[in-house]
Order: sequence, then structure tokens, then C-alpha cells
Amino acid sequence: MFLWALTAAAIPLMLHMFQRRKTVVTPFPTLRFLKAAQKRSSSRVRFENFLLWLLRTLLLLMLGLAFALPVLRMTTGSSWLIRTRRDVAIVIDASYSMTYELDRGKVWDICKDAAVSVIEGLLSGDRVCVYVAGDVPVPVIEKPTTEHATVIQAIRTLSCLSGTSKLDETVALALKALEQQEGRREREVYILTDGQALPWQGFRDAAKKEEQAGADKALISREQRDKVSFFALLAGAQQPDNACPSNLKVSPPLLLAGQSARLNVRIGRTGTAKQVTVAVEVDGQERARRGVTTEANAESSLEFAIAGLEPGIHVAKVTTPQDALPIDDEFLFLLRVRKQLPVLIAGPQEATRYLKAALAPGAADDSVKQIDVAELDSVDLRDYQAVFLCDVFPLTGQAVMRIEEYAKTGGVVIVFPGDRADLAAYAEMKILPAQPKGTEEIPVERAARPLRRLPNQKDQIVNFNLPLPPGAIPTVALKRLMSFGDLQENGAVLITAGDGVPFMTGRAVGRGRVFMFAISANREWSTFPLTAFFLPVVHQLIRQGAGASVQPPHLVMGSNIPVNEAVPNYREDDVIAMPSGAPLPVKDNGNRTFVIEELAEPGIYTRAKAGAAQPEPVLAVNTDRFESRLTPATTEELSEWTGFKKFLTAKDPEELTRLIGEYRNGRSLAEVFLWIALLLALAEWWFANRALRTQTGTTEKMTVDLSGKVVTT
Amino acid sequence: MSEEGIGAYLNPAQMAKLNRLALNSRYVVEGTLAGRHRSAQKGASTEFADHRSYMPGDDLKRIDWKVLGRTDKYYIRRYQDETNLRVYLLVDRSGSMNYSSGGHKTKFNYACTLAAALGYVVLKARDAVGMYIYGEKMDAALPCKNSFNELNNALKVLQGYKPAKGTAGADVMHQIAESISRRAMVIIISDLLDDQPEIIKAIAHFRKNLHDVIVFHTLDPVELNLDLKRGAEFEDLETGERMIADPRTMAKEYKDLMGTFIEDYRKACSEMKVDYRLVKTDEPVDTFVRAYLEERKRLSR
Repeated sequence: MFLWALTAAAIPLMLHMFQRRKTVVTPFPTLRFLKAAQKRSSSRVRFENFLLWLLRTLLLLMLGLAFALPVLRMTTGSSWLIRTRRDVAIVIDASYSMTYELDRGKVWDICKDAAVSVIEGLLSGDRVCVYVAGDVPVPVIEKPTTEHATVIQAIRTLSCLSGTSKLDETVALALKALEQQEGRREREVYILTDGQALPWQGFRDAAKKEEQAGADKALISREQRDKVSFFALLAGAQQPDNACPSNLKVSPPLLLAGQSARLNVRIGRTGTAKQVTVAVEVDGQERARRGVTTEANAESSLEFAIAGLEPGIHVAKVTTPQDALPIDDEFLFLLRVRKQLPVLIAGPQEATRYLKAALAPGAADDSVKQIDVAELDSVDLRDYQAVFLCDVFPLTGQAVMRIEEYAKTGGVVIVFPGDRADLAAYAEMKILPAQPKGTEEIPVERAARPLRRLPNQKDQIVNFNLPLPPGAIPTVALKRLMSFGDLQENGAVLITAGDGVPFMTGRAVGRGRVFMFAISANREWSTFPLTAFFLPVVHQLIRQGAGASVQPPHLVMGSNIPVNEAVPNYREDDVIAMPSGAPLPVKDNGNRTFVIEELAEPGIYTRAKAGAAQPEPVLAVNTDRFESRLTPATTEELSEWTGFKKFLTAKDPEELTRLIGEYRNGRSLAEVFLWIALLLALAEWWFANRALRTQTGTTEKMTVDLSGKVVTT
Repeated sequence: MSEEGIGAYLNPAQMAKLNRLALNSRYVVEGTLAGRHRSAQKGASTEFADHRSYMPGDDLKRIDWKVLGRTDKYYIRRYQDETNLRVYLLVDRSGSMNYSSGGHKTKFNYACTLAAALGYVVLKARDAVGMYIYGEKMDAALPCKNSFNELNNALKVLQGYKPAKGTAGADVMHQIAESISRRAMVIIISDLLDDQPEIIKAIAHFRKNLHDVIVFHTLDPVELNLDLKRGAEFEDLETGERMIADPRTMAKEYKDLMGTFIEDYRKACSEMKVDYRLVKTDEPVDTFVRAYLEERKRLSR
């Protein structure tokens, strides 16, 4: 009805046209100047009058339109005529950043409530499905259903996950579910998240790939992006504040009793620069506490030294003060401290005598075991950190296979040749750094040879540091020396005995190392076992090799790794329990290879060995701290990354409800028109007064003094 | 107006204010009586002018004997003659002079009062004053007399005139310029709303005849600034023509035009060495005359 009020726009014109000119006749000395002034000002006055008329007409138009309460509809044209049915997909971000605590509660709970509100706002017959975005998309209600109560119930029981989230994959899955539905319906996708930029990363990467590879391979097609309406609730903090331990390095990797563990802790920060207190606990006891000034939106690092660690596995953690996101305030790790490194020496007595004497001088030592060659078929090599093979060739096929497997899974094999076997016997073992080519008798005049470590080459995997005091030049007297053929893959000459003659070679095999000397381990071939540096070299070989197979002190959730790499000496009958107590699924990939498919929970994983009374901690698993970077994305960025044509974002559930209302029912333009009317009224007032305001002319600039003298300024 | 003559325009208090003032000419003038104004004639006075050669018939008393002693030549000493001032008041009674705004006097009334005040000052200095009244034509020409009775009579004549319908200022001024035979002071009291170049030519005519000319450009304040708050139908006081206009929308243009009009007169007068003064009718006449004469006196020192 108020549209009739638009006719009021004609009022200014009519007033102008029908205005009765009530003019008073005023005598004036001469009209000459009035006429000229009117002529000069007429074009300006006409323009000003036109502008005033326009302003007044527009003002009345806007008022008329405002009172008509017009509504701007954003839906398709068909919805003007009939009520549109909808298929709605709700995607809830379940990354752990959603547990961020706001004044009105956790973001996760806000998003769940918003999801419920969206569903409650649907009409009967509208269908809805729900997906949760985690590391992988999780369908909660896979196919769109009209059972709204069931869906709401399912949403209320949802829990937030502990990992990251991939919104792009989940949205793609939800769109696929919507597309499979029949019937011509409006499709809407609601993405309920905290506004963190990270979960949207997939969209951004996909947009880049799409630019390079074309739109055909896009996860979400251009048609979907154009036709479907997307709503995003970015319910998180606008300026999030979070500090967390993001990573940790333990050195040395192989800890022996009596050594201090050095911890390099990285502290991630979202927000402004801040002083953060970091504490280290070992076995439940605080061992260190320090403050660090973190930079804004950056990572800082600080070092701790933990001394006096007893042999064993220690559960440790780094903590930061509790903040709005408590899930990432702890960083768990294990400190594995060993008393000694168990070593196996295989070979005849005369070949191993000096080695055993060097490693276990005096009384018998449990950590060093000497066996005969024949026992290599039966002994479990996984109990030992290093295996010395002294004049053991030829070996049985079983023994060769077991040694090779041992090396590949992280063991260290050190080979000393001897007189027992011919050169062909060495060829059976494929893991040697180089195959022997022959043996050479060294004349006495060339017997003395200086040992020299070769510098590491580029891309050389196996390295060796000769532990010698500064200035010392180790020299050996050689009687016989084995020469080698070409180096195998990943092989390198590590020590030479004068003029580049290989003395010790090494090779990386799988996760382990194989070292081979050109001399025997007894005094028959050289004086090396009698020199002062025999023992340091042997110790260094054991330790360095052992370091290569050290289990990581902590792992990231969702990792998929072989068991042997994470759990030392894993056996088939071992049971690894997750922090919740549930057994960790371990997949047998065959060929005695076991793989942990997914570390689904953060915390300490324990292993119960068959027959052992107490389970021992074996894994420390933390959440992926990428998720702790809470830097929010702007609406413009999201719009650019996603490429959605109809993309509406809200900062809180109320705004989302309003947007949905405006989208479905239309947006009232009354307020807009009233604002315009107000602006027009102000403009009219200003302009009308400006037109009436007397402007300074020449006569006012003239100064006429009392005596009538005129001065023009 | 019950009073007649000068009493109709000036009250005793105003006259008392004007008593000690004098209107001095900036140039030499020619009068009929001895006075305090420099005359174009050489004659008897104490102020030496120059020498000239003796001519037979000259009075022997005027021979400069000292020069004769030094040069053996006869020279006559000549002295500056001093005479009285003859002032002609030209009062415009054209139609446009009948305008007044905001309770002020009409411009014609103001011009009459100004003429009375000036005449009074001139007579008080024992000079002579004459008057020309003109509108569409020369209405009255009253000869120069140095008598208050004559001034009174002239003012009575002036009092008998009302503003005319039209104007013919330039022609009349030319006529007056021709009629004043000897150097005198000519005071024009008018709004000068006529053909501007012609008026300037007429003023130039006065100057050509070596008259000392003063122009009192008499205007109403509203005429200057068009300070009217509402639109109206304006009627030309001289032609009767009407036009509807909104002064508020054209005030600036009007003021610019009027400013140019005044400035053109001022420049022309300045070039002709004519004393140009703008008189607003909202100022008291006696105050204006006093200020004007004092400034003129100061400048002539």
C-alpha cells in the first residue's frame, strides 16, 4: 500500500508548478544591475534548483520505499512463486582448535548449537546430512534425511577430535551426497568452523592446482561452486591467543646412563609477543622451568639440560601455562636411557680375542657376548645393538639372511675378514660396502701406515668420526690387507691406510649400517688391535650405529610407521595399548614387517610383553601442532580460496541466523532506504542553506571610511 | 517639515559642529572678492609670485629696486592674488534618488541635507555658494552668493522640488560646465545611475574648464549589498519597469556588478584628479561632512 506513497515524489514538482507567486512590489533605484546579476546567475540558479528538486524528490521516494518495507530476495526466481524445498549439508570442523574457549563457551559447542539452529530452521520436507571434518571426512548422517530430530540427536552426541581437519575434502563429500539426491531442490552447505585459516588450506592449494592443471580435476566442480549456496560460521576468536610447545629435539639421540639430555624446545605462539613460562617434567617430577619471550605469531626456542637420568624409559613432558586452548599445552616425549649397548661378537676364539678383551676387559660383561659361527643361525640378533663378524665366512644361507634383515631393521654389522674363507664366500652377503677383490701381503718396509679419516662427501649417508685427541696421527703396521672392488650403493670409504688404500668402508643398509675392515680383528694381519685407538674406534662404531636406529622420542598423531622404527625389539606377541587402554592395531605386512596404521590418540602408548608384569611406555604421541596456529582467515581470503559464487560468512550464530533469514525470506531494505533518506535530507538541508547563504561580493570587500574614501582590497 | 531653508535640513547642534570647518580648494580659483583662496590672477598681496619686465604705465612703486641695483634693468615684482571661493552645488533629483530602505532618508533628502551642510560651511568661510538642481532637465540654477539669506533661499527652492521620474544627468552637467565661466569648485551630489561613460565625460568637462570637482556618490546601503531577505517584484524608480527576482540567489553577482560600477567611477575620478567620495545614506550628514573636511584639510597641508 505504501507504494502509493511513491506518488508523493511528484509533490516538489507540483508545488513548484502550482506555486502562487505572492510577490511584493518593491521600488528600486535601477533594475540595470538586477537584470545583469540575474542573467549571470541564472544558469547556476537553475542547476541549484534542479539539484534541490532532485534531492527533495529522491527524499520522498526513499521515504515512500522505506515505508513500503521492500524485501530483496537472494534465491532463484522460481522461489517467488512456490515454496522451495532444500537439501542441506552441514560440515562441522572437528579439529582440536575448535576446543578454544571463548567467553560464551567452546567454539565446538557454539558450532554444534549453530548446527542445531540451522536444522530447526528447516521446514518439514527439507533434507539434511551432517559431516564432521577431521583428518579424514567423517559422515555423521551420510545421506540427506528429513528426520530432523534424529540428526539433531546425532549432532548433540558428537565430540571434538584431536587432530587437524580438511574442510575441502569434507565439503566435497557433502556435496557429493547432496548431488546424489533426486528432485529439483535448493542446495545449501553450512561450514561451521572457528575461522582458522589452516583447515581451508586445501581450498587454497586446490585453487592453485586448478590454475595449473585446469578445472577438470578440481575436487569441487565449478558448477557446484556456482549453483550451491555456501554459508560459513567463523565462530572462533577474532584475535586468538595461544602458546604451546610445538616441537622438541633430544640430543644426543642415544642416551647412556650418566649423560645429560639436552632438550631443544620450540614454542609456537599465536597472538602478540608474550612472556611464557615453560616447564619440563620427567616421571611426574618437575626438573626445569624457564621463561621465554615469544615473538608475535612466530616460533621461539629454548634449551633445557636434564641430568642424572637413570637407565630406563622415562615419560617426560614440556608444559606451557594453561590458556584458552588447553589441549596443546602439553608436549609428551620419552627419554630412553641405556646402561650399556649390548654387543654380539661372532667368530672363532682366536679371531675375536682382542675384540672381546677390548669391549669387556677383566671380568665377564653381560653386555658383550661372544658366540661361535655356528650359533649365528639360532641367536636373536635383535637383542644386540651391534654384531661383530670376525672371520665368520663362509656362512650358512640362514645366517646371511638373518644378518641382512638385522641390518636393514636398524642394526649395526661390523665385519672383520680372516683367513678361514676364500673371497667367493664374501659374495654371499649382499650388504657389504664393497666386495673383497683379494688380499695382499705387505712387505715390512711398507708396513707402517698412517690412518686417515676421509672427509664426508656430498650425499654420503654413512659417516664416521674418528675419535682421536688433537694432533694424534694413528699409525698401524700392516702385514696383510684386503683390497676391495667397487663400492656398493650408499657405500663409502671411511678410513684409509696411506695413499688412499681403503682401511675401513661403510654402507647404509635400510635403517642400519654395515662397516667392513680390510684387516682381521687379531694381530695376524696388523697391529691395529694392539694400538691405543682400537678401542675408541670400535666404541664409536657401536654408538654411531646404534644412534641410527634410535627410536624417536615422540610421534605425531595420525602417523603411519613400521613398528620397528618406533618400538624397540617389537615381537609379534607384544601388545601395544593406546592411552585409552584399547589395543593399538598393528598390521602384518608380511615378511616379518609390522606397521602401525594410525596413531589415533595423543598420549603415552604402553607395551605389555608376554610374561612381563608391568607394561612399559613405548610411544609418546602428540597432536599435530600445525593446528595450534590459530591465525584466522579473512572473509575475502576465504571467498578467494574457495571460489564459491554464493558465499556468506557470519562471525556468530546470531549473524548466521540473520543471514539465513535474509537469504531465504529476503532482506528488508527499509533500513537502507531510511538511511538514504536521512542522508538525502541532510544533503538537502546543507544545499538549500548553502544556496541561500549570502556570498561575499565585491562591494563587501570595499572599505568605505567615514569621509567616504573607497579602498578596494 | 515645518522648518524652511537651512533649518529644514540642519539643526543648531549640527550647525555648531560644522562651525569651525572650511572647504578649501586644491586648485587656484577665480572669485570676485578678496579671500583666502589662491587666485589665478596676480595682484596685491604679501605673497611674492615672480618678476616681469617693466612696461610703460606700470606703477613705479612695484619696481624692484634691488634687482635694478644689481642688473641695471627694470623689473616689476608680482604678487599672488588671493580671492574668495565660488562653490557650485549640483543636486541630482532624478527618479533613482527617491529610494530609501530601512527607515533611512531618501537619497534625494540626504543629498539636500548634504548640500545644506556644505553650503553652510562654505558661507561660514566667507566664500560664495551657488546651486544647480537637475533631474530630467536643468530645474534650477541659483547663482553664487556669499550670503546666508541667499543660501536659505536656495534651500527653500530645493525644498520645493521632489525627485523627478527620469534622469538626464550627463547632459545637464555638460550644460552647467559650459555655464560656469570662471574657475570654481563644483560639488556633484548624485547616485550617478546614468550612462556611466557619459557621466564621466561630463565630469571631465568640468575638469577641462579647470574647476575643482568633488563627487559625492550617494547610495543607499541596500543598493550596495542587495541585503534583502526575500524575493520581490522590483520596480525601476525611473522607468517603472518591473522584474521578479530572488535577491538571495543573485546577491553575489549583484554586489560584483555594483562594485565594478563604483570602482570604475573611482578610477576615472582618480585619473581626472577629481575627489570621489562614496556616501551611504545611513551615515549622519554632519559626521560625514566633518570627517570629509578634516581629511581634506589634512591632505592639503
